[in-house]
Amino acid sequence: MGGLFSYFRGLLGAREMRILILGLDGAGKTTILYKLQVGEVVTTIPTIGFNVEQVTYKNLKFQVWDLGGQTSIRPYWRCYYGNTDAIIYVVDSADRDRIGISKDELVHMLREDELSNAILVVLANKQDMAGCLTVAEVHQALGLDALRDRTFQIFKTSAVRGEGLDQAMDWLSNALQARK
Amino acid sequence: MYTLLHGFYKYVVQKDEYCVLILGLDNAGKTTYLEAAKTKFTKKYIGMNPNRITTTVGLNIGKIDVDGIRLNFWDLGGQQELQSLWDKYYAECHSVIYIVDSSDRERVSESKETFDRMIASEHLTGVPLLVLANKQDIPDCMGVHTVKPIFNQNAHLIGARDIMLMATSALTGDGVDEGIRWLVDCIKRNNVDRPPRNHEDNL
Repeated sequence: MGGLFSYFRGLLGAREMRILILGLDGAGKTTILYKLQVGEVVTTIPTIGFNVEQVTYKNLKFQVWDLGGQTSIRPYWRCYYGNTDAIIYVVDSADRDRIGISKDELVHMLREDELSNAILVVLANKQDMAGCLTVAEVHQALGLDALRDRTFQIFKTSAVRGEGLDQAMDWLSNALQARK
Repeated sequence: MYTLLHGFYKYVVQKDEYCVLILGLDNAGKTTYLEAAKTKFTKKYIGMNPNRITTTVGLNIGKIDVDGIRLNFWDLGGQQELQSLWDKYYAECHSVIYIVDSSDRERVSESKETFDRMIASEHLTGVPLLVLANKQDIPDCMGVHTVKPIFNQNAHLIGARDIMLMATSALTGDGVDEGIRWLVDCIKRNNVDRPPRNHEDNL
C-alpha cells in the first residue's frame, strides 16, 4: 500500500525542496541566488531580511531562501530552519580575517536539531580573487573535519564569473534525490 | 520503571556501531563503492547513477546493517591536497577500506606510496585493512596477482593488523559483499582494542 502511495506521489511530482543560502555578510549569497535563478550577475545591496525565489534546475524545483548575513540579523536565521532539505553555506575565500567567525556561525547552526538531516554544501566563493583560500584550507578553517554524520561537499565558486555553481547544483540535486 | 524498560528496550534493539573509512587516490572509485555497498545491504535502496557521481571534496556518509552490527562509512576526497585531511578521522575509525584503480598502471605506485604513508600513522595501529583492486570490469586491468605483490612489500608497516586484498568492481557490485563480510568479522574480533562508537552511552 505504501509502495502504491509513493508511486502516485512520484507521478504527481516530488515536493519542492527547501534550501537555505547562509553565510556572513558580503560572502555573495544574493549574487549566487540570482545567478542561479536568472543566470545573470545582478547588482546587489546588503540584504536586510531575506530574498526568496523559486529555482528550477534540471527538472527539480527548489525554493531558495537567501537570508541576510549581518551580525545583527544572524540570530534570526534559526526562524527559517524548519523543513530545510539543504544548506548552501557561502564563504568569502578571500576574507581570511573573518573565516573564524564564519566557522563559529556554521558550528552553531549545525548543532540545531531541525537541521540534523540537511545536506551541507559549502561554496568557497570569490575564487577569482588573488590569494584566496584553497578548498583544503576552507575545509580546515571551518572545522569540517569534526563532522561525522552529515554528507557535505565543498565547491570552489566564483559567482560573478558563474564558475562552479553548476557543479554544486548538479551534486546537490543528485544528493537530494539519492537521499529519498 | 519507564527508564528501566526503555533502557532494556534500547539494550536489545540497539546495534553496536563501527566506523569504516574509505580511502584511496582520486578517481579510484570510492564513492561508487560506497553506493554499491549501500545498494547491496539496504533493502529497496536505489543507488545513485554511477555516471552522475563526481569528484568528492568533502564527505559522503552511509550506514548499513550487517550481521547484527551497524557500519558507518566515511568516504573522503582523494585528491592530493585533500589527503592531509584524512588523519583527522584515523583515531575514531574501526577499519579502513583502501581502494586502488586496477586499470591505472601509471598511478599504482603513487597509490602504494599514499597507502604506506597512511598505515604509518600511529592512530591506525591494529586497525583491519581491506585493500580492493577495483575496476575489475575494465578489460586489460591488473588482476589481484599483479596488485598484491605491489602492496605486500611493507610487512614491517602492517605489523599485526588484519589485511586482505580482494578484487572488486564497484560498478557491477562484484566482490563488494565478500569484502564487507570479511571486514565485519575482523572488526568484531578487534572490538576489545577498538570498542564500538556508541559504547559509552550504552553503559
